[in-house]
Amino acid sequence: MRRKPGILAAVLALALLLSLSGCGASDGKTHLTFQIWDVAQRDGMQAMCDAYTAQNPDVVIEVQVTSWSEYWTKLEAAAESNTMPDLFWMHTDQILYYSEFGMLADVTDLFPYEEHYSDISISNATGSDGRMYGVPKDKDNICLVYNREMFDAAGVAYPDESWTWDDLEAASQAIYDATGNYGYMAYNDEQLGYHNFVYQNGGCILTEDKTRGGFDQEATRAAVKYYVGLQGNDWCPNQAYFAETSPGTAFFSEKGAMFLEGSWNLLSEMNNYPDMVGKWDIAVLPAAPDPVSGDGRATISNGLTYATGAHGKNLEVALDVLTYFAGEEAQRIQGESGAAIPAYEGLEETWISAFSKFDYQLDLEAIMSQFDYCVQYVNNAARPKWKSGVVDIMTSIYNGSVDIDTGLDQIQELINTETAKKLADS
Amino acid sequence: MRKKAIRLSAAARREQNWGWFMVGPTIAGLLILNVWPFIQTLYASFCEHLGFGHYKFIGFENYVNMFQDPDFWKATWNTAYFCILTVPVGLFLSLLVAILLNAKIKGKGFFRSVFFLPMICAPAAVTMVWRWIFNSEYGILNQIFGTHISWITDSKVVMIACAIVAIWSAIGYDAVLLLAGLQNISKSYYEAASIDGAGKVTQFFRITLPMVSPTLFVVLIMRLMASMKVYDLIYMMVEDTNPALTSVQSLMYLFYRESFVAGSRGYGSAIVIWTVLLIGIVTIIQFVGQKKWVNYEI
Repeated sequence: MRRKPGILAAVLALALLLSLSGCGASDGKTHLTFQIWDVAQRDGMQAMCDAYTAQNPDVVIEVQVTSWSEYWTKLEAAAESNTMPDLFWMHTDQILYYSEFGMLADVTDLFPYEEHYSDISISNATGSDGRMYGVPKDKDNICLVYNREMFDAAGVAYPDESWTWDDLEAASQAIYDATGNYGYMAYNDEQLGYHNFVYQNGGCILTEDKTRGGFDQEATRAAVKYYVGLQGNDWCPNQAYFAETSPGTAFFSEKGAMFLEGSWNLLSEMNNYPDMVGKWDIAVLPAAPDPVSGDGRATISNGLTYATGAHGKNLEVALDVLTYFAGEEAQRIQGESGAAIPAYEGLEETWISAFSKFDYQLDLEAIMSQFDYCVQYVNNAARPKWKSGVVDIMTSIYNGSVDIDTGLDQIQELINTETAKKLADS
Repeated sequence: MRKKAIRLSAAARREQNWGWFMVGPTIAGLLILNVWPFIQTLYASFCEHLGFGHYKFIGFENYVNMFQDPDFWKATWNTAYFCILTVPVGLFLSLLVAILLNAKIKGKGFFRSVFFLPMICAPAAVTMVWRWIFNSEYGILNQIFGTHISWITDSKVVMIACAIVAIWSAIGYDAVLLLAGLQNISKSYYEAASIDGAGKVTQFFRITLPMVSPTLFVVLIMRLMASMKVYDLIYMMVEDTNPALTSVQSLMYLFYRESFVAGSRGYGSAIVIWTVLLIGIVTIIQFVGQKKWVNYEI
């Protein structure tokens, strides 16, 4: 009888071992995981994967969504322990950091990118060493979203190409006076906020060679000051308001007339606010009235990429999927699903077609025309190191704990210090 | 005097081996999941994180920077302030609820469930609801009182708003623990006291409080530790573009933002070590102090 516990333990151990081995796939197919952060694009991504697996029945791809705020924590931990998903989205903020540490597979030779992708798309996918570590996925830019009913109520003409910052202010005031609603909602954000204004005014966040900040330039400083100053108007909510109610929420509950929005959100906003369809439209961003250089027009354009880990277990299959994702067919599926504007040149219309199901047609040509003068999303290798610091200083400027000139000097110094440190390290 | 080595019989030795075998998995788990990460964190606090697990040893630089950082001291104060706001009030209310639930009232089971409900709700969901309640423009709280307080964006009141949610979420759990303590008190004490002519108030201070003090002590330690480590609640209530962020940022929130948003895990680790030290000191003080008020004699 004394032997019994031992036997029991052995049986338990065996059972444990069996259940562990049960985790592996037993259908003989290659199982890939595909990690993304935007739930609105899940169906589009799934459609692309389905198209691939239809041609390659021995591959199964599972699309997983992790929210943006947890995505990078999770991906970095996975990269350290070499358990990255087989396929995943890469963002311009992070691609230099990941590629510098050799975490991403080189995809330069998978596809003749130059023939079908713009320089900005390719640049967003390129590491510091000039090799490509991501397959261009989409492209986007920032537009002005406005409430037509409020413009009508105030008797103001809708925004168009001729608009400058002055028109933005005048319309905001008129709408506030006529309806009591907020005008343009100037939210403390980079891509959806002051970065656009800086480039419109001829300033820059980073210099051309990306080695220094641009916050010592008069054009940059004037634009940031102008943007921050907007919240002093009665027609603009302050940042405390936005901490509770995002500009999008305020806009779609008809509390404000205008805000800046990324093209990638438009389709889900049409879907999510069916009662609002027809009440709002989009326009190009207003131009700087008196730019230090340039013609006053600019919008920030970014693009995501598809990537795979450099040491993945299914690297070969993953690279094959990426080659497919780079091709016209996959990019077309992405566009038609409305997920995002394909980075593949000439397929922009597929994305526009995804909006044809609605009764009201947004002026999507405004987005397309802005690609002619858009500015590439701000990035350098040290960006992950200075990005959150800049956000903190901007918050201090907004709540008045730091004087704006001092704050801008601090931002400039932070960017320069971190960038110099990075350059010295590599 | 030298201790004599105790010789065990074969049976006792076998029993001892079995003992080790039984606690082995737990000890192994503790070592792998708690002790080893702590050592790694300690090491990381002396390093600069270059990326993807590559660390460069930089000695005390993180600590020097930390002690010179006004945000860090602000966060330390915020954490202490949060404890001051939540722990005494929370304990008092939990004890009150526990005593009420221990009384002979109708629907006792129902009320016990109601008070415990916040515990079984996901903290993230709870906080989202509270954010709407606190919303300065459309929130129900300002509607009811006809006030216009910016609960979560005014730097002076944001901490109070967070404390309210924290107390609300913890009352049920603490009350259940205290209730268990209350029910262990024999009825005969109260009967004897009544015969001797002691009123309800005297009974509370002379019988209930001393008898429940061991449970109260456990609850106090747990609540204080949880309050010093507060993170999820504040993270959900206050986003990083909120102008009142620095007035409510706790040490763990600062740690999260340094480690995972800014990527400075070495600096983040230094903050963690500091927090561990603080919690350790506070807990030692409590264990010393308990001799004055906790009663273990039944």
